[in-house]
Amino acid sequence: MSADVELSDVSVTFGSFYAAKNVNVKVNGGEFFSFLGPSGCGKTTLLRAISGFQEPSEGKVLIDNKDMSGIGPNKRPTALIFQNLALFPLMSVSENIAFSLEVRGVSKEERKKRADELLELIALEGQGDKKVHQLSGGQKQRVAIARALAVEPKVLLLDEPLSALDLKLRQRMRTELREIQKRVNITFIYITHDQGEALTMSDRIAVMNEGELEQIGKCDEVYNNPLTPFVATFVGENNPLYGKVTGIEGDKAKIETADGQYLATMNESKKLNIGDESIAFVRPESLFIPRDSDNFDNKIDVNIESFEFEGNLKNFYASLKSGAKIKFSVPNAIDTSSITSGSSIVLGFESSKSVILPKASLAID
Amino acid sequence: MMGIYIFIFFAYLFGPLIIMSITAFNSAEFPSITPWECFSFRWFNEGKIAYDGQHLAGLLSDWRLHDGIISSLIIGAGVVTLSVPIGMAAAIVLTQVRSQLRDIYYSISIMPVLFPGVIIGISTVVLWDRIAGLGGEGFIADIGRNGIFLTILAQTCFISTYCFLIFVARLQRFDQTQEEAALDLGASQTQVFFKILVPYLSPAIASAAVIAFLFSFENYNTTVFSILSDQTLTTVIASKVRLGISPALSALALTIIALTIIAAVTYEVLRRRAEKRYAESQEKFVKEKAADNRINKKYKVGFKIPKGITAILLIVVFVTYGATQIVKNDLYGQSCIDAADKEKKSKFLEQLQTLESNELTDEELSGGSLGGNQDYGDIFGDPSLFQDFGGFD
Repeated sequence: MSADVELSDVSVTFGSFYAAKNVNVKVNGGEFFSFLGPSGCGKTTLLRAISGFQEPSEGKVLIDNKDMSGIGPNKRPTALIFQNLALFPLMSVSENIAFSLEVRGVSKEERKKRADELLELIALEGQGDKKVHQLSGGQKQRVAIARALAVEPKVLLLDEPLSALDLKLRQRMRTELREIQKRVNITFIYITHDQGEALTMSDRIAVMNEGELEQIGKCDEVYNNPLTPFVATFVGENNPLYGKVTGIEGDKAKIETADGQYLATMNESKKLNIGDESIAFVRPESLFIPRDSDNFDNKIDVNIESFEFEGNLKNFYASLKSGAKIKFSVPNAIDTSSITSGSSIVLGFESSKSVILPKASLAID
Repeated sequence: MMGIYIFIFFAYLFGPLIIMSITAFNSAEFPSITPWECFSFRWFNEGKIAYDGQHLAGLLSDWRLHDGIISSLIIGAGVVTLSVPIGMAAAIVLTQVRSQLRDIYYSISIMPVLFPGVIIGISTVVLWDRIAGLGGEGFIADIGRNGIFLTILAQTCFISTYCFLIFVARLQRFDQTQEEAALDLGASQTQVFFKILVPYLSPAIASAAVIAFLFSFENYNTTVFSILSDQTLTTVIASKVRLGISPALSALALTIIALTIIAAVTYEVLRRRAEKRYAESQEKFVKEKAADNRINKKYKVGFKIPKGITAILLIVVFVTYGATQIVKNDLYGQSCIDAADKEKKSKFLEQLQTLESNELTDEELSGGSLGGNQDYGDIFGDPSLFQDFGGFD
């Protein structure tokens, strides 16, 4: 039932502007795949290219190894869930769900049967006669999914459908989406700028920036081994430490910064040489307050500036000697009453928890 | 203060209509309120044969008016069937044009509204006269000189623009992703049009149809040229005014006003009923969803005096006063009309006699026995001549 989707060298241009440039992705059948990137990075354009609303300027979209060029959105085995859902306000819930069957000339009884089945799938039994405006945000969401699933598409495309919901509902819908995907077992291609959403739901993610793919991989892979400074700082948070490579030991590199020397792990595909301008990244949760007995690779002297309580975590903002800022997080369970603004402390981190990459622009620049 | 302002505004707006409506019930030959002759429905029925033999047709017996109304209805229907689709198509095209052309296209589309209607009427006639001239004696020649056909075309020229504006306003609020969603779900372009766009536009279609019909029905300056030898209601009325107006026109005006009010009230009642149903379903929905402690059980809708009550009371007072005055002075019914007619006729005859008796002989005119400028029937000097004459009413 599910289908592979392959983008082969796809570029989309608007005038002289590249909305997407030379994108090569292969999404496997039955996979939950996410495109993650900041707004304006071209991810929606790619989705429209897959669904057929946008013909690629170059390259090909293949679904089930079939070239989709010249095939309109109504003839492709894909279904798109819009950011604003685009439910039909003049129709009832059942009519919305059965719309795709209606336009295919399916009989009324058949349509009703299928609509009832789908209503059951999305846990809205018996609510088919309601109007769309009588539903809550989460229910509308589920109706949009049911409507898209009614024709049994091979690929479901989702364009940030959760962005309009409040936090709690969003979290619940994440789980529900994942469950629905498992139940119907078709390919889901999900678009989001929210890395939390991408990481929790997806099998694999593709990080995009400025119309180009930065990295494709499993969630933990992308999070732990970012390939570019952009990915390192866009997916989760990261503290950059700028400097020059001064030594190489196996897969580790030594970086000399204005505040001292640190050891960090190199990426296999991004080997560095001595003297290269580079950035070492360490995540806030990888920084720890060492005890005297601890043995660790790197230490940093910092001056605490401010503090923020997030609930499960306590975030500290600190500055280094050179003036560079750094953030570190401590679980709420740990007692930090001795750390106050203005106090100087030493932080530690392991080289295995830090990556070093050639210098390039960050996501927060 | 606000109330006074509104009263003055409405008096200005509806005063003439009210006065005109009242004159429809006065049996006098000329539309008037004072002097009041008799309360009568004759201008709605047969009208009257005046004592001088002239037939003053009432609403029911005026065949020219009837023919005019029928042509107006046919033209109105024709204009609606042409302008609504043309306006809708033009508005849909506007949503598809994305470049600087959009402004140009928009300006050209609304241009017919800015043309004087007279010019549209004349140019249509000129064009079709040429076209009819080409085709010899056939079908083209027939329709090219058919007033009703030409009027439909001429009116559609500018009325379709009003329809266009109505559709543009509605389409501006249309969420285009709905079209995309429908396409994505497998609908063809035709299905998108009929299942998504047309249902969305249906309120606009209804109001465009009503507006187109009303514009067509009341149009004069285009129609007067394009109608050629036929007549519509407006041209009939205009030609009547040229000959002198009769209360039958007041009766017609009152009928049209009454129809309009009935239509407006029906629409309003239906709309309120739908609104109420919607509000009820919303309330039910809220009550279903809301936690029990958020429902105020003590909340009750109290009795409210309807806002229109003063206006209704005012109307009732005036109508009652008028009716009692009419009944008290016996100013109604056939007997009153007969009496009035008789009186007028006798005065008329009396006047005739007086004129006859005052008529001068040829001898007197040429100077008579006294010679010269003796008496040329100085009507101003004759006190008996206008003695009991009520004046021209």
